[in-house]
Amino acid sequence: MPCWYYDKKELRETPSILDGVTFETERRYRKEGARFIMECGTKMGLGHNTMATGVVYFHRFYMFHSFKSFPRYVTACCCLFLAGKVEETPKKCRDIIKTARGILNDNYFVSFGEDPKEEVMTLERILLQTIKFDLQVEHPYTFLLKYAKCFKGDQQKLQKMVQMAWNFVNDSLSTVVCLQWEPEIIAVALIHLASKLSKFTVLDWLGRQPSHQRWWDMFVSDVTMEILEDICHQVLDLYQSTQKEGQEPNSPPQKPPSRADSPTNNKVLSLLLPLPQNSSIVDSTTLGKTKAAPPPPPPLPACPPSDNGGLNPNNAAAELNNIQSIKSLASAVPVETLPPVTLNTNANYHMYHAPPPPPPPAPIAPPYPPPHYTAVPPNMGYYNAGRPQQPQPRYQ
Amino acid sequence: MSPFKSASDGSPCNYENIHVIGTGAYGTVYKARDNTNGRIVAIKKVRIALTENGVPMSTLREISLLKQLNACDHSNIVKLFEVCQFLERDGKLMILLVFEYLEQDLSDYIENLPKSGVSRTTIQRFSRELLTGVDFLHSHRIIHRDLKPQNLLISSQGHLKIADFGLAKTYDSEMKLTSVVVTLWYRAPEVLLAQPYNSSVDIWSAACIMAELFMRKALFPGTSDKNQLDRIFELTGRPGVDQWPKTISVSREYFPMRHPKRPRDFCPTLCEYADDLLSQMLSYDIRLRPSALACLEHEYFQQEPL
Repeated sequence: MPCWYYDKKELRETPSILDGVTFETERRYRKEGARFIMECGTKMGLGHNTMATGVVYFHRFYMFHSFKSFPRYVTACCCLFLAGKVEETPKKCRDIIKTARGILNDNYFVSFGEDPKEEVMTLERILLQTIKFDLQVEHPYTFLLKYAKCFKGDQQKLQKMVQMAWNFVNDSLSTVVCLQWEPEIIAVALIHLASKLSKFTVLDWLGRQPSHQRWWDMFVSDVTMEILEDICHQVLDLYQSTQKEGQEPNSPPQKPPSRADSPTNNKVLSLLLPLPQNSSIVDSTTLGKTKAAPPPPPPLPACPPSDNGGLNPNNAAAELNNIQSIKSLASAVPVETLPPVTLNTNANYHMYHAPPPPPPPAPIAPPYPPPHYTAVPPNMGYYNAGRPQQPQPRYQ
Repeated sequence: MSPFKSASDGSPCNYENIHVIGTGAYGTVYKARDNTNGRIVAIKKVRIALTENGVPMSTLREISLLKQLNACDHSNIVKLFEVCQFLERDGKLMILLVFEYLEQDLSDYIENLPKSGVSRTTIQRFSRELLTGVDFLHSHRIIHRDLKPQNLLISSQGHLKIADFGLAKTYDSEMKLTSVVVTLWYRAPEVLLAQPYNSSVDIWSAACIMAELFMRKALFPGTSDKNQLDRIFELTGRPGVDQWPKTISVSREYFPMRHPKRPRDFCPTLCEYADDLLSQMLSYDIRLRPSALACLEHEYFQQEPL
C-alpha cells in the first residue's frame, strides 16, 4: 500500500522545490489550489467531503509532480472533477471549467489551453496514476463529529466550539497537514485548538476510562503535544499574512499540461502578468464564514450535560495548563517581530482578476479572529496581532 | 508478450506478460512478471471506453471499493498489489489490476488428488474458507459472479483464496459483445435465463464447487445453455409455470419434465448435513438460498466431519 504521509524533510524536497520553486512559493501554490477547489466546489454546490477529497488529491499530486510542469488551476479542476465522481456527486467537466472561468481571469485561464476540457480529461489519467487509484480518502470532519458526540458540557458552548473546529478543518486543507497526519489526529488537534479559543474545555466525555488522561486518549494513541501544536501552528499560520508572500513574483505555469514539456520561463511571465493587487474579494482568512462558506456541520445530538462542570482543583489545573499551552503556541512567533499584516494575500488567485472598481471607504474585516468569535481570550497576543489595529485602505 | 508500460508519469507499472492464465466472464487474466522486482503476479486486464466525462464513475467506484477491500487484508481473498492504466491506440483505457499470484488453483488441486480423494476435514475447511471469502465480498457489496475452481487459489499453506473479482460491472457494460467461451458449469439458473440476479448467484456457484470437492467431478457439467439448465432441473425439478420467467422467449415446455431430487442423489458421499446445506444453496428460487453468513452457521460447519 502506498504511504501518503511525509516527514518534514520530504516536504522540503518536493518535485517543485527540486525544480527551482521556493518552499514558500510552493506552499502558496498549494494554498491557492486548495482555496480554488473550495471556491469552485462551493459555487457548484458540492459537499465538504467532495471538496476535501479533491484538495487531498491535489496535495498528493504535487508530491510527484512540479508546479512548473502542471499548472495548478488545471490540476485543481481535475482533482475536483475526479473527487466528484468518486464521492458520487459528479459534475460535468465542462461545468467545472465554466465555473473556473468565472473565478479566474483571462490571463490565468491561458493555462487551460485551447481545449480546456481536453486538458482536464488528459490530466485525469495522469492524476489517477499518480494517486495510484487510492480514491477513497477520509477527512477530519467525520472524526470531528464523532469525537464531539462524546463530549459532555454546555451544549451551546460545545456547538460553538465544533463550529470553530469545523472552520479550522476547512482552513487546514490549505496547509499540508493532510500530507503529514491522519485525519483522526488533525481532528484532535483542531478540536483542541477550538476548545482553547472558545473556552470550552473538555472535562468529561462518554466512554471515559480511568486510563484516559485526555479525551483523545480514547480515540488516538501516541499523539504527542508537539504533534498537535505543530498542526495548530500550521493552521494558525494561515491567518498570518506576510508581506513577503504578497511581493513575490507570481510565476504560475502557464502552459497547459499537454504542452508542459519545457519548464515555464517565470521571469518572462512575471513581466506579462499584472502585478498583485489588493483585491476587494472576500478575505479568505475568514474562509468558512464568507458567503462562499461550506455548509456548517450538522447539529450534534444532545449530550448529557456535564455533572462536574464546576470548579475543582483539577479543573483549575487544567485551565492553567490550557493557558500555558496557548502561550506556548504563541511563543513560536514573538509578537514584536510579527510582520505587518497585509490583507487579501491569501486569496492570491484573485490577483488575476481585473482590478476591481474603486473601493468603497468601508473598513475591511480583520483576518482573525473573525467577527463571529468574540470569545477569543483578550490575553492572546498572538492572535490579536493578526488583527490590524486600524482599517487599511485597499489601495495604497 | 509485449510489456505493459504506464504511459503517464513513469511510475512503476512495468510488467511483462508470461501467458494467459484464464479468460473469465469478466476479463482476461495473465501471469506476468513485475520487471521492477521480478515478482510473479496475476494481472487482470479490463478495457474501458472513456466517456464524455472521462473514466466512468462506476469504474472509479469499483476500483475504490477493491482498494478498500484490500486494505482489510482478508485471508481468503487474493491481495491486490496495484492498479495501473494506460491509453490504448484506439482511445480506450486499459486498466490493469495487479494481484498476488499463486501457483495452484482448486481445479489443479482436485485433478491432482490421490485416488482416496480429499479428506472430509479438508472439504469442510475449504468450504468454510470459500464461504468466509464470499461473505466478506458480499459484505462489501461485491458480487463475484464467476466463482469456479479455476478462480479459487490454494496457498502453499493450503488455504483457499478467492481470485478474479472486481470490475465485473465495468466489464459487463463495456464488454458484453465480446464473445468469450466461459464455463457454464457454476452458473446459477437465473443467469442462464437472463433474469435479474443478486449476490445469491455466488451461493449457487459455491454449492457447485463444494459438491465437486465431494465428487471430484463437476456437479452440472453442461455442454450448452440448454443442457446446463436441463442438468440443473434434474436436481431442482423443472420450474412450475408460475416460476418460469415471463420475460424470456424460451418456453418451459422446451425442457423435459423433472421432479426434484436431493444433492445426495447426485453425490452419495454427502453427509446428511452437507446434503441439507447444499439443497438449500441450490434452490431454484433465489430467495430461498441462504446468505453466505447463514451457510456458515449451518449445522454442517458445527460438526466434526465424519
